[in-house]
Amino acid sequence: MRRGVGAGAIAKKKLAEAKYKERGTVLAEDQIVQMSKQLETFKTHLEEFASKHKQEIRKSSQFRVQFQEMCATIGVDPLASGKGFWAEMLGVGDFYYELGVQIIEVCLALKHRNGGLITLDELHQRVLKGRGKFAQDVSQDDLVRAIKKLKAMGNGFGMIPVGGSYLVQSVPAELNMDHTVVLQLAEKKGYVTISEIKDGLNWERERASHVLDHLLKEGLAWLDSQAEGDPQYWFPALFSELASRDVTPEEANQMTP
Amino acid sequence: MSFEWPWQYNFPPFFTLQPNVDTRQKQLAAWCSLALSYCRHRKLYTLDVLEAQESPLFNNKKISRKLSVEAIQIIFEELRKKGNLEWMDKNKSRCLIMWRRPEEWGKLIYQWVSKSGMTNSVFTLYELSNGDDTETEEFHGLEEGMLLRSLQALQTEGRAEIITMDDGKGVKFF
Repeated sequence: MRRGVGAGAIAKKKLAEAKYKERGTVLAEDQIVQMSKQLETFKTHLEEFASKHKQEIRKSSQFRVQFQEMCATIGVDPLASGKGFWAEMLGVGDFYYELGVQIIEVCLALKHRNGGLITLDELHQRVLKGRGKFAQDVSQDDLVRAIKKLKAMGNGFGMIPVGGSYLVQSVPAELNMDHTVVLQLAEKKGYVTISEIKDGLNWERERASHVLDHLLKEGLAWLDSQAEGDPQYWFPALFSELASRDVTPEEANQMTP
Repeated sequence: MSFEWPWQYNFPPFFTLQPNVDTRQKQLAAWCSLALSYCRHRKLYTLDVLEAQESPLFNNKKISRKLSVEAIQIIFEELRKKGNLEWMDKNKSRCLIMWRRPEEWGKLIYQWVSKSGMTNSVFTLYELSNGDDTETEEFHGLEEGMLLRSLQALQTEGRAEIITMDDGKGVKFF
């Protein structure tokens, strides 16, 4: 008689398999109990962390940056949803939500002046001013994160890199790469001419003219035809003298909804 | 007290009539506002169009920009439509600029009269606009034409009566 083969051997095998399976189930149950215990410990630690650092999160922009970086490393987005553990435990969501609302208010108040384009610097200045002397510190990093959230929520927000910082766009004006690049060129002086675009970007006159016309149409640029030489196209958003001026009652009356 | 210029005043394109319709609307509104504030500050009651071109209001020497005559005319037309300006001649070379309306002037004058307990007294126009008693009042130095219109407004309200006297006009307050 051959070994291992035959009805008997198969039956034996089946029994062994069944026994292993049962063992595996028992093992899994063990693991689950273990994991629950670990989770419980983890949750307690997290709650301790949250209560210890909740104050710091609201108060210190530096702490917030480090916190965000830590979260990014472990693959967690504390702003992923308004509700949920992080938002509730740490109030991180609240902080950025409120900041977002403030940003929208500032941009709306100045839209009639700059057409919906504002430098991150000016936005920062005005947000800080609006919060008053005793309010929490807000950094540019905070603003950038809040704006990214606004953008994700589809509020028409966007950021254009210029001169080492950003221009924040708060109206859904159609701005493509050409427009962006011209804005970047204009950043230093606050204005640009067709010749400067042709020379600086190596474009045809027609292309430069087309872009500038579009920016005029979007209310982002104003024409100055009294300059020596080429007409100049100025951007209120980049006009530094404008940054420190409050909105006057007359301007407030002129604002279109 | 020096005049505080709005941000637009130092923004070179502000002196070029904007080609974009929406932007132009903002620009004109800002110019109307500025013109009225400036005239109020300098207590200017009339403007001559040609002279105005060279006034600091429409000519910012610091940035070498000034409004064209065409642009000034357009702004004046806007002010006229808003009721803040009236042409004094057919050629539209000189205008009355009303940063305060006659009714508002009338109110100020009447307030002073009643506060001083002078109702039922008669004043000459000159006394009102140039008298020692009114020196600290806002309507001191008020241009004669405007003064008359303010008094006429009060007359319509039944609070004053304009009287013609030997050497000019006078007014009695009730």
